[in-house]
Amino acid sequence: MSLYTYLLISAIIFVIGAYGIITQRSGIKILMCIELMLNSANLNLVAFSSFNGNATGQVFAIFSIAIAAAEAAIGFAILVALFRVRDTINLDNINILRW
Amino acid sequence: MFSDFAALIVLLPVIAFVLTLFLGKKLPHGGAYLPIAAIAGSFIISLGIFLQIYPEGIVQQSIPWFAGMNLGILIDPLAVVMLMMVSFVSMLIHIYAVGYMSHDPARPRYFAETSLFTAAMLSVVLSDNILQFFISWELVGLCSFLLIGFWYHKPSAAAAAKKAFLVTRVGDVLFLAGIVLLYVNMSDIITSRAFSLAPGNFILQFKSMFDAIPLIDKTQLTYITLLFFGGAVGKSGQFPLHGWLPDAMEGPTTVSALIHAATMVTAGVYLVARTFPMFVAAPDSLLVVAYVGGFTALFAATMGLVMNDIKRVLAYSTVSQLGYMMLALGTAGAVVGAKAVGISMFHLISHAFFKALLFLCAGSVIHAVGTNDIREMGGLFGKMKITATTMMIAALALAGIGIPFINIGTAGFFSKDAIIEGAFEYGEKTGDLIPYGFAVIAALLTSIYIFRLWFMAFTGTPRSERHSHESPGVMTGPLMILAVFALFFGFSQTGFYHYLETNFELMGVSIAAHEGEAVPPPIIVVLLPVIVGVLGFLISYAIYHKRMLDMSKLISSQNPLYKLLLNRYYEPKIGADLIGVKLTHNVVAQSGEFVDRKIIDGLVIDNIISNTLFQLGEVVRKLQTGVVQNYASVTLLGIGLLLVLLRIKFGGT
Repeated sequence: MSLYTYLLISAIIFVIGAYGIITQRSGIKILMCIELMLNSANLNLVAFSSFNGNATGQVFAIFSIAIAAAEAAIGFAILVALFRVRDTINLDNINILRW
Repeated sequence: MFSDFAALIVLLPVIAFVLTLFLGKKLPHGGAYLPIAAIAGSFIISLGIFLQIYPEGIVQQSIPWFAGMNLGILIDPLAVVMLMMVSFVSMLIHIYAVGYMSHDPARPRYFAETSLFTAAMLSVVLSDNILQFFISWELVGLCSFLLIGFWYHKPSAAAAAKKAFLVTRVGDVLFLAGIVLLYVNMSDIITSRAFSLAPGNFILQFKSMFDAIPLIDKTQLTYITLLFFGGAVGKSGQFPLHGWLPDAMEGPTTVSALIHAATMVTAGVYLVARTFPMFVAAPDSLLVVAYVGGFTALFAATMGLVMNDIKRVLAYSTVSQLGYMMLALGTAGAVVGAKAVGISMFHLISHAFFKALLFLCAGSVIHAVGTNDIREMGGLFGKMKITATTMMIAALALAGIGIPFINIGTAGFFSKDAIIEGAFEYGEKTGDLIPYGFAVIAALLTSIYIFRLWFMAFTGTPRSERHSHESPGVMTGPLMILAVFALFFGFSQTGFYHYLETNFELMGVSIAAHEGEAVPPPIIVVLLPVIVGVLGFLISYAIYHKRMLDMSKLISSQNPLYKLLLNRYYEPKIGADLIGVKLTHNVVAQSGEFVDRKIIDGLVIDNIISNTLFQLGEVVRKLQTGVVQNYASVTLLGIGLLLVLLRIKFGGT
């Protein structure tokens, strides 16, 4: 498989994620879409790393995965806390931080 | 050897500070043993370094920091004696505080802060450049602020802490201005190639400063040293910035003993001693030092006569004694050159011993009696024999009692009399006997007020019904150790002078003494300090013990002089009402308000700028919809746009 195949797959996953973030209303789904976008970026990193014979990209990918894990943990914790207070995780209803 | 661990002198108390702050609650005695052990470590290292470098070694270590500055350690004779004194006295006071603070729930905070203070003070002492010196100096000031306000729930303590902080800040700003001016001058002579730094030296190092002295313009040098002295005036409570020091007695007595008697307030004297070659090169500044010091010595002693708070008497005494140290640098510097540093530092260190002792005795009394007011004490001698005896020893040392000619006496006898004789020698050579007059009268007053304090507290009949008892051993132990030093430290005089005399020569700076043989002063000059000391004792004995003289006429609110002294020359009033309210608030702040409201806002008709901005804000805020999807879409659009733009600008194939 050529590099372009990987990049294409990565781009497709990325767009799915972006589309999901814009269209979805549920906090959990949005978080999942963010994960998709992050992992598409990781895929890019690993693919370039593999094709260029350079390990730096893989190191980056591992960092990125670790940070994504932390981010997901915090994100879900916020959602759980939010659900306890507001009984909903529909982000359309969570909009007091505006004019 | 020991010098390899020089950095630990500062680092050990810092570590103790962190540990005590976080773990103190879980440890016995509020974690007091950590700082005690750490400071004992500092003391041992200091002592080791002293033994290693004696008689004329020097420790220099430095690492580059930023922009031509460095962090470094300079341990010369001047620094090493201070290091030993600070760590030793600090250690004793920490031990004493275990007993003194035993009932206080906030002990961990206390011990953490005093530990940090000790670290900062030691760092002041061993700095090898003026910038690091200044930073540590500020840290010391911060700790002083924290500890004066240790009982911050007491409004008077909080106010005293603020006052101390603000008043010393005046001096600190002057000091900083002096450093900036020095830096400007140093860079000037470096860029004009008149002077080049020795390899491995940095621009604000003391050594570079001293090397550059002959090349700096004399007027500029006078300004620089005067600004430095401004800092010293603030820190050492010299007139006119003395007012904070007596108020600082709101803190725990151990804090007064450590910070406001033995160590921090002497930092100002140390600063002048440290940069002494610069002062010698600027004789006008030295004259200012001599006069401010001499005047403060007398001025503060007069107020010490009438205070009724046991700690305030001692506070004014400290101010007065610091004046003596300044006087020594100012007068003797003009006459005997580098030896002045020895004379001044000798008094500094002997003062540290006996004044710390006085404060700790006062603390012991307060601990037992539960009041600061000496009018409510009396007759304590029978109940507190150790405290009374050690305090008597300290009082004798403060009054400078001893036997001339055969040279037996207390520490103060050797150290203070040398200063007074130096002032006389100065007067003889320059025909200006005013500083000498200040010094002698102050010595008489010193003796009167300290024995007044002792007689009122320990003799006569108890004037109030209080249950008093001798303090526990953890408190009396340090008292006895300090008493030994207050009694016998004086005998190291000759060796001490000799050791410090070479201090600046070790750095390649020579301070020549003025020409002419040293003539031994007339016998009356040698005797006079002791005579006035004994005279003061007898006066106090007659008035406050035997009650031979009726003082009620003199001590009444009818007597304007008494009122003036009791109100401390109206210094707090002048400070708060005149400078604080009238000048700062009514003149500066209100004219600032006028400019802002009437001119800046008024010129632009009807606040047109701010109104337009407000209306614009009203429109733009609608953009914040609070819907996450909108934000995400805009972000994506923006990134897309950015990518397209980048592609157009840097587009390759």
